Amino acid sequence: VITEYVERLARELDFEPSLSRRVRREVEDHLWEAVSADPSADRSEAERRAVSDFGDPRAIAAQFQAGSLAGRARRAGVSAVLLIGAVFAVMKARFTWYSLTQWPPVDRMRELAEVVVSVDRWAFWLAFVAGTACWLYIERIRVPAALGTEYRARLGRFVSLCSVATVALIASVVSDGVLTVLRLWEADWSVAFALPVLSMAVEIACAGLLVLHLLRIARPPAWTREESGGQ
Amino acid sequence: MLKGHLDMIVLAALSSRPAHGYAVIEEIRRRSAGAFDLPEGTVYPVLHRLEQAGLLSGRWVTADSGRRRRVYEVTARGRRELTQQRAVWRQFSDAIGGVFRPRRKPA
Repeated sequence: VITEYVERLARELDFEPSLSRRVRREVEDHLWEAVSADPSADRSEAERRAVSDFGDPRAIAAQFQAGSLAGRARRAGVSAVLLIGAVFAVMKARFTWYSLTQWPPVDRMRELAEVVVSVDRWAFWLAFVAGTACWLYIERIRVPAALGTEYRARLGRFVSLCSVATVALIASVVSDGVLTVLRLWEADWSVAFALPVLSMAVEIACAGLLVLHLLRIARPPAWTREESGGQ
Repeated sequence: MLKGHLDMIVLAALSSRPAHGYAVIEEIRRRSAGAFDLPEGTVYPVLHRLEQAGLLSGRWVTADSGRRRRVYEVTARGRRELTQQRAVWRQFSDAIGGVFRPRRKPA
């Protein structure tokens, strides 16, 4: 009875595998403890009582969803700041490399390059401001016991801020990509290409990771949406 | 009403010594003289939430039975929060007491 019950609870918590494993272990210990404390001589009856006293697995899983979503949002907030910082560091490293290797500035399509530089600068600072704001915002929100409309509205504002930061970071990375291609286009192929190419790969990976974090918040498991619909 | 104060109740139950989930429920039953007989599963989401908020810290230990169990302890931040919540509750309780106290008729 207990094994069946904890497996069902673990399945209900499948939206976060690490939480599911942890709760399963904790609850299993709890239920065996309850069985050993039960005065009844009938063991299977004691198991059934322990499971019944514990409650409906679906209802318990629903109580974990607010914490789970809050955890994801917090991770996304911290990641936004760290990933934007990483893009900045990589961008600086590339420019230092250009200067160390005395890489010639973009000559062809200079006007286009100037526009892209300006877009890059604005997009990056917008990403930085929005990313920092979404991190500060989510850190100040207290995790509620259940997913109510107020908390959902706050998460919605967080997702909006995070989306602005993500879109701006993507614009900045695309601009960096255009500028890098313009620089490399005019130079002869050499080992010195490695750092700009690698730095662009890191920037793209950072933007991709931020998109993944955002998707995990913006698209929570289907059943959590069902629960909120009932509120 | 109890649901809204579960965080504070769990924190208070853990304030005297570290304990695992089952022991927390037993402690709540004991302190409330059986009045708070919660569905046992409701305590675990609270423990996790309090840990996430940094008010509790948890660690895995091996029990005498050989099973692994998670033991929770109130952090310094948790103690500060509990002190604050106690003060708020006392104020609220006094106010309710004042409202409910029967007024003496003027002589």
